[in-house]
Amino acid sequence: MRKQFAKTLLELGKDDKLVVLIGDISHFLLKDFEESHRTRFYNMGVAEQSMMSMASGLALGGLFPVVHSITPFVTERCFEQVKDDLCYQDVGVNIVSVGSAFDYASLGCTHHSYDDIAILRSLPNMQIVYPAAPHELDTLFRETYSNGHPTYFRLPAKSHGLKTNPKFGEVETIINGKDVTLVVAGPQLENANNAVSELKEKGIECDLIYLTTIKPISEDSVGTLIKSLGKTKKLVTVEEHSVIGGIGDEISRICSKVPFRHTRLGIEDKFLLNYGSYEEHCQANGLTKEGIVKAIHEINR
Amino acid sequence: MPQEDLKGIRLNILEMVSRAGEGHIPSALSVVELLYSIHLNKTKNDQFFLSKGHASAALYAVLAHFGYITKSELDTFCKYDSVLGGHPHKNPEIGILNSSGSLGHGFPIAAGYALSKKIKNEPGRVFCIIGDGETNEGTIWETAMYAEQLKLLNLVAIIDNNKSQTRAMTSINLKDKFLSFGWEVREINGHDLSEIAEVLFNKNNINHPKPLCVIANTTKGKGIREMESNFFTWHHKAPTELELEMFKKEVLK
Repeated sequence: MRKQFAKTLLELGKDDKLVVLIGDISHFLLKDFEESHRTRFYNMGVAEQSMMSMASGLALGGLFPVVHSITPFVTERCFEQVKDDLCYQDVGVNIVSVGSAFDYASLGCTHHSYDDIAILRSLPNMQIVYPAAPHELDTLFRETYSNGHPTYFRLPAKSHGLKTNPKFGEVETIINGKDVTLVVAGPQLENANNAVSELKEKGIECDLIYLTTIKPISEDSVGTLIKSLGKTKKLVTVEEHSVIGGIGDEISRICSKVPFRHTRLGIEDKFLLNYGSYEEHCQANGLTKEGIVKAIHEINR
Repeated sequence: MPQEDLKGIRLNILEMVSRAGEGHIPSALSVVELLYSIHLNKTKNDQFFLSKGHASAALYAVLAHFGYITKSELDTFCKYDSVLGGHPHKNPEIGILNSSGSLGHGFPIAAGYALSKKIKNEPGRVFCIIGDGETNEGTIWETAMYAEQLKLLNLVAIIDNNKSQTRAMTSINLKDKFLSFGWEVREINGHDLSEIAEVLFNKNNINHPKPLCVIANTTKGKGIREMESNFFTWHHKAPTELELEMFKKEVLK
């Protein structure tokens, strides 16, 4: 994902309005961009609040800034700057974060961030894009970076290996079923896809719907979700995010016209006090194929 | 006549806040001359950002004086459907380039704008008025650091040193601090139009070799003795009708 980010940026760097601000990470990754576009690449050090407001000023000056750092530092730490200087003034700053959820598994709670979607989706004008494969990042970034609105790109460390056709603002139906609606975002698409295949052999058929845009979701896509839920009346959402305020909450909000039962798979309301690896955290939080299969069996009983 | 213009602006500030029952008069009165001079002298290549948004009444009164908005629009100050709120809302058509209100935001935005001009090789400078109390915010110093690092020679920070912050920080030395952050620092009387114009617009001073910080020593509540001597009481308070008449007489004297 990170390599694709560097590649996409380098190609888009031909656009002389694109300016990259990094919070002292990814220097080596973005070296080619830096060397090709010295006057449009700035390492702003670790002063994320001012970096964010500076980006707002760059956008007010007619440029397309891309602000890049680790998730908690470009979302939680500078939340008021994002609110006042990006969203309230509706300027086209792109925030690209790495290290969301527990991607920095062993670094502990200060470096985990699984409330980023929750806090950012509460801000008017904010667009939230969550690509989980290199081709998705490339397509969605090109589609949105210059559209004049603040956009948050959440780049997970892990990619799913599936072929998808992302389009900004739209959900994608990966598999059609009839019994349960399974809505997933991020690299968990792979586990969800495997879970759906396994369940099919046991006679349970799921609609598998995949999100790469969390906000805004188009009316057509809301229609797709409502149609599915009208049919199945059962929803399971899967996300590497807190069960408070994330994708589960968003789907529940936009589909409130129809009645359905809802199981949220995600990170419960707690700090993750363990270290170890990404996989270990997935296991511990039920974000596995087995976890998804179990949730679907339970809601489908 | 500038002195008559300034009186008119001060009267409008008093009337706006009194009518609305809302606003920050002393913080507005301290920047009247600065705002007036900047709007009188800046070129079409220059931009202005107000970082201490609570001086909105002064900004609106100055914008009305220079014809960006009408005098009757001032009557809507702080009303439900007004474009002139208690803190400025971005509205480039009337000369308001940024929304402000929360302190420590306008300065880095202005610096970002200055950087955009530098990237695009655009002429002109970016002026930003910051409150002395506002310098308590860490983002002011982060931005001071950035301006040195990025060599933003087109950036001018003007500190409205009206001693607002003396209740909290009793002995802050802004001059030494900005000097140590690599800025050129000038200190002026922020109510003296000729000193302001000299430091900001004299052609010998336009090309500064470092980012320029102008510490404008001002009086909070300038022009109204009652406010000058009790500025903490008046910081966020509207005058009664009786007080308004008294203050207006004092301004017109």
